[in-house]
Amino acid sequence: MKKDSAKITVLDPRGQPTGIFGRRLDPDSMPWAIHDPVNQPRDTAEALRNMKMAPRLDKLEGKTVFLVNTGFAGAKEFMEELQEWFNKNHPEIKTELRHKKTSMFTDEPTLWAEIKENGDAAILGVGG
Amino acid sequence: MPTAPIVTARFADYVQRDGLSHGIHLRWTFPPYPVGFVSRETLQGYIKGKDPISDAPLMEEIFLALTQPLTDAEKHPKAVQRPTWPRLLPADTEDNLHRLFLESGWTDGLPIVLPTEERVAEMLTGTDHKPDEYVGMMSVTTHEERLQYTVEKVATIAVMAGARPEHLPVILALGASGRPSMPSSTTSFASMMVVNGPIRDEIGMNYGLGALSPVNYANSVIGRAWTLMTINCGDVRPGATFTASTGTTINYNNMCFAENEANSPWEPFHVRKGYKASESTVSLFRGWNVLTMGLGPARRMLEVMKSIGGPFGGAFTFICDPLAAKGLKSEGWDDPNKLSEWLVNELNPRFKRPEMINFLVAGGEMNPMWVTTDFSHFQTVVIDPWIPKAGVKKDAKPLRMPESVACKDGSCGIVA
Repeated sequence: MKKDSAKITVLDPRGQPTGIFGRRLDPDSMPWAIHDPVNQPRDTAEALRNMKMAPRLDKLEGKTVFLVNTGFAGAKEFMEELQEWFNKNHPEIKTELRHKKTSMFTDEPTLWAEIKENGDAAILGVGG
Repeated sequence: MPTAPIVTARFADYVQRDGLSHGIHLRWTFPPYPVGFVSRETLQGYIKGKDPISDAPLMEEIFLALTQPLTDAEKHPKAVQRPTWPRLLPADTEDNLHRLFLESGWTDGLPIVLPTEERVAEMLTGTDHKPDEYVGMMSVTTHEERLQYTVEKVATIAVMAGARPEHLPVILALGASGRPSMPSSTTSFASMMVVNGPIRDEIGMNYGLGALSPVNYANSVIGRAWTLMTINCGDVRPGATFTASTGTTINYNNMCFAENEANSPWEPFHVRKGYKASESTVSLFRGWNVLTMGLGPARRMLEVMKSIGGPFGGAFTFICDPLAAKGLKSEGWDDPNKLSEWLVNELNPRFKRPEMINFLVAGGEMNPMWVTTDFSHFQTVVIDPWIPKAGVKKDAKPLRMPESVACKDGSCGIVA
């Protein structure tokens, strides 16, 4: 069959960027609301750019580190083993284990407030 | 406060890319995968071992994440801003453009109709809305940047799917939902879409025999268009934004069908959700699987539900052949909402959410069967605002596949 070498113009099918991102759910949301594109909370690119890493500690000795189980499969057991590792290898570092009461998709301001008030650092996991 | 996030190595690339698009730099630590459903000894080995991505000792990495001073790049993170695309692609031959669409991941792997300006302009006659009108935004992820699309963009997708202008109002309603047909989840989500109201007959949708089979033009192209829209406007990039581990073939067409309102003994689904019978709507469902084919009374449904135990405490949508629906009505279930309540109470009194159990009616009355799915109803969108004031724009001779009628004219070849 003869090839048609004539050139044609077509439209680009891709959507355009908005600068609008999804974000964690409000605390009173049900877990499956994470898939609700209408009512899911959103962040703007501008708001996200204002989020920066906090200054680091000079050492962990004598500090309190919160270990947070975010809720994915195996995270509870991993964090428990992590705490056990700290107890055995670095008893001078105090660890506090917390399990998120809400789902992995949901914000939990009361937990973050507790950690900020009583802790020096946090280890969160395990995602995926 | 200094924070050290831990994510399994399987998602290292995913979260690092995610951080770049958000302009958030984090000090990740990646233990091997998987973490779930492995022994304590395995987890202990992960903790004592190395991060397979960085090859550094895992705990050393966590310590550094919390104590090493921030670099300049970490103090002043930059987001990678995505470019906007020109309206038109560079001119090329048809062969090259087909290759471009396929190799760019803009299709579902099946041949498409190239969206030339002429074809898209013709498609736009299927609505009165202006081409540059904003329709919605979408992402297959829960957290990545949403992409927005106009009426013209949806018309472009409709052309690619092989649709005609008569189908555009339903496809625009799908776009207005903002809901992707294949949201990203390692569990491989599937979607289902059901059309109610007068537009079903206007555009020749199938709600009778084989309503969910590839034997109807409108059902096929509308269902496909939702996924092509999701791929292009929901930003599907396998491995980067799309993480379905096994995937599902339901994503090709999204179980697109119409409800058999005429033969159903119940009020149409959309009427039960508060819409008028004269309104045309598309209802969207999400789940994973088509689970069983069932026969028998409501108590048999209950047995099936108990034997399955769906996710999220049990979401079920039954697709009932009209004969099955009539059978349930003859048992005394005049209102499927009452049946939902009864089933939920019998199934799990602690989890009383009757709206998690839904009933749809479709089929050709060849068998009094019901199909069990684990789908939840998420949203119903009205189609009417997208229909031209003059009515659905039909071709002079609309394309229709053969209807499932009994052979009376000898075309089946078996009439004496």
